[in-house]
Amino acid sequence: MRLPEDAYLKTASMAAAAFFDTPFFLLEYALRFLRVLVLLALWRTVFASHATGSMTLPQVLTYTLIAEVFAAQLNLRTSLNDAMWDGTLVIRFLRPMGLIRQLAAEMAGRWSIDLVLFSLPLFAIAPLLGVDPRPASPPHAILFITSLALSIVVGLALEQFSGAIVVAFEQPVWLVDYVRVAIATVLSGQLLPLAYYPAGIGELFSWLPFAATTWAPLAIYTGAGNPPLLIATQLFWGITLWPIANWIWRANREKLASYGG
Amino acid sequence: MAALDRVATSTTDTVVELRGVRKTYYQRVRSARLADVMGNLLRPQIRVVHALRGIDLTVRRGEIVAYAGPNGAGKSTTIKLLSGLLAPDSGTVHALGMDPVHDRVKYVGRVGVVFGQRTELWWDHPIAASFEWKRVVWDIDREQYERMVGLVRELLGLDDIFHTLARELSLGQRMRADLALALLHEPEILFLDEPTLGLDVLVRRRILSFIKQLNRDRGLSVIVTSHDMAELEQLAGRIVLLHEGQIAFDGDFAELRRQLSQRRVLTLETTSTAPPRLAGAELLRTDGGRHEFAFDAAVVKLADLLQQAAAQTDVLDVETHRAPIDEVVADLYEHWLAQAH
Amino acid sequence: MDLLFVARGPRVALIYYFSDLVRGAAAATATFLLAERFDGIGAWTKPQVLFLLGYALLVRLLIDSFFNYNLAHVSRRIGRGQLDHLLIQPQPLWMALVTEGFAPVTGTGMLLPSAILLGAAGQQLNLIFSPGWCLQFIAYLVASITVVLSFEYAWASIAFWAPRAAEEINSHTWDLLQALTPFPLDGLSGWALGSLLTVVPAGIVAWYPSRALLGLAPLAWPDAAVAPAAAVLFAAFAAWIFTRGLHHYGRTGSSRYLDYGHRR
Repeated sequence: MRLPEDAYLKTASMAAAAFFDTPFFLLEYALRFLRVLVLLALWRTVFASHATGSMTLPQVLTYTLIAEVFAAQLNLRTSLNDAMWDGTLVIRFLRPMGLIRQLAAEMAGRWSIDLVLFSLPLFAIAPLLGVDPRPASPPHAILFITSLALSIVVGLALEQFSGAIVVAFEQPVWLVDYVRVAIATVLSGQLLPLAYYPAGIGELFSWLPFAATTWAPLAIYTGAGNPPLLIATQLFWGITLWPIANWIWRANREKLASYGG
Repeated sequence: MAALDRVATSTTDTVVELRGVRKTYYQRVRSARLADVMGNLLRPQIRVVHALRGIDLTVRRGEIVAYAGPNGAGKSTTIKLLSGLLAPDSGTVHALGMDPVHDRVKYVGRVGVVFGQRTELWWDHPIAASFEWKRVVWDIDREQYERMVGLVRELLGLDDIFHTLARELSLGQRMRADLALALLHEPEILFLDEPTLGLDVLVRRRILSFIKQLNRDRGLSVIVTSHDMAELEQLAGRIVLLHEGQIAFDGDFAELRRQLSQRRVLTLETTSTAPPRLAGAELLRTDGGRHEFAFDAAVVKLADLLQQAAAQTDVLDVETHRAPIDEVVADLYEHWLAQAH
Repeated sequence: MDLLFVARGPRVALIYYFSDLVRGAAAATATFLLAERFDGIGAWTKPQVLFLLGYALLVRLLIDSFFNYNLAHVSRRIGRGQLDHLLIQPQPLWMALVTEGFAPVTGTGMLLPSAILLGAAGQQLNLIFSPGWCLQFIAYLVASITVVLSFEYAWASIAFWAPRAAEEINSHTWDLLQALTPFPLDGLSGWALGSLLTVVPAGIVAWYPSRALLGLAPLAWPDAAVAPAAAVLFAAFAAWIFTRGLHHYGRTGSSRYLDYGHRR
């Protein structure tokens, strides 16, 4: 007898197997690796000539490295944009699975490969790059897992929200995607810990949902933040965003089914 | 997710029922002229498109229904409504006793949909992998799956391409594979939206033959849209003709011909290369001594035409047949177009 | 045509501008915030960092304005078989490639941020815009643009042999360069820095020219010559590989018209 989860597992495995369709994912890995090297060098340069802020150099280096190790989870993307772009979203409505759930299953499939090919190796060679990849403490590690799970929940809500906005306002998906990615890059703490944003701006951003996807789990991992407060913020956004995203999604369901032709 | 439920089969013969269905779209009108474009900035012009204006349609189990009409008549909109992709603005849509939108997950487990311009195959996987994926997701019994795979591989000629990546298939191969995929779970209704678009005549023949066999052997109900009237005539016993969002005709092809036109084609073989002048008939083409005419049998008798021809030249051979259905329907579309202007 | 696109769909055009603006700004944000927070990065003072960022965005602006509509992302044109549409025009291919991407309205999203950054940097650094310096500035801009486009076209050439697989390769190569360009690379050494000056020439696009224009202490070789020399070398390689790809394309035709490889 098939369990309901079998359909999603099978879908995840199909997406994982398609990962090696072309070898150009290596270019993306090259970018990510080079960017980590550049950022690590940048931080060392900065700390060499200035007093530290609220984080120590080892914390910042660990933050930078782990941000890249878990980049796929912290900056969550499903194939919703691709499906909208090539007009195949309608096909997904013909499957006996929830739309967001099947997209999440495909995403999880791709994550499994990314974890093995990039994340774990990067984590393993961290000492060679002069970075201690370990969490601040065992309790922080456990809290990080909780926070990462919440980050994924909030990320999925934002993904759904973004897709619904695209069809609600009938805009090209890639345009909205550029804006979303750019805003998330600035507001989430992906490249620069929010603790280093000037004049209280980081404090403000830390309350926003983008920070719930990236800054919160990384701050917990490195011991740079207040875990209960960060997790509470993530919970708030998870509880708040999902109903809104669902409502906008449902209100624009027909446009979603027709987007792209 | 609840297990797919096949117990609640419709207890009536009706598999599809549309009642008073209306669907309207709003499109922004754009112009290429700079002056108009500037005007549109301040006062955007919106065009209202009434895709469906109160459609009533019932399909019984085991029917093959051709759903035709000129471009923009509302054919694809109806298929999308029946596939659960769209909801009507008013009226009701029911199929297999379910609302396709509200009962989507359960519903799509019992119907099959093939869009000619889109594929359900996993692009970067071989056909076999897509089939296996479908088996799991639709929870198809293993024995049923093996049986259906064997059937579709044989009848649609998939053996040579079964392990080929979907993106490497030709259009005809992909369509056959898509049709096979849509049927693996033995749906009760099959919706086909332009299934033979761009396919060569051999592939078309294969697909039509396959659908007719399934209909005969398994009572599969089919609703198919296409612009190829001859193909629809081969496939379907019933034709529903749409015009500006309303049903203009619902019956069989013979009745369609009777109602629309008694147009026939007369071919004369004569000793003269110059075609005879026949009052009441239109010369279609002439090739040496072979001349083809079209005439309306309700207006002018065949005997009169033959008499006229014999008076002008020696007639060696005579051939007459019904006008192709494409011409019949084309005349109708032209008539509608003329009425609109 | 570019103006009509804006006028016909002002909402889309506005979002286009905004997305371009935000994208470019986001790329420079990390460096900008670091410089703001620590009043410079290493040996680079804050105004010097602003100059680097402004220069990087200006290069991006010029490419967006003159090589828009997928001319910079030419792998898309090749992979989708759209090169045929250029080849049937009554003009040389190079002319079509140089002119078809002209987007003086929609391609100027980077104008404001680059102007602000360069203006602020120029004022704070008391830069003297002598004719010689201005000529050098323009020459470096041309060199930077040449390096970026050469990098894009060299990688895009793969699409001649693998159209479907490499259609989006320029998205990756573009992101690679754009993500790494707005950083001062002084803290890197050895093979990492070497990579960013050769294999992935992000260091040549903005960092090296900025060093030369700001008169920073030269590295191992004359900074002034690096960007122009690199531009010549990259352009030569890109031209060679692209021409080879074009010859292959001439023999095998467009992927759109092959029996297999049907597009979705």
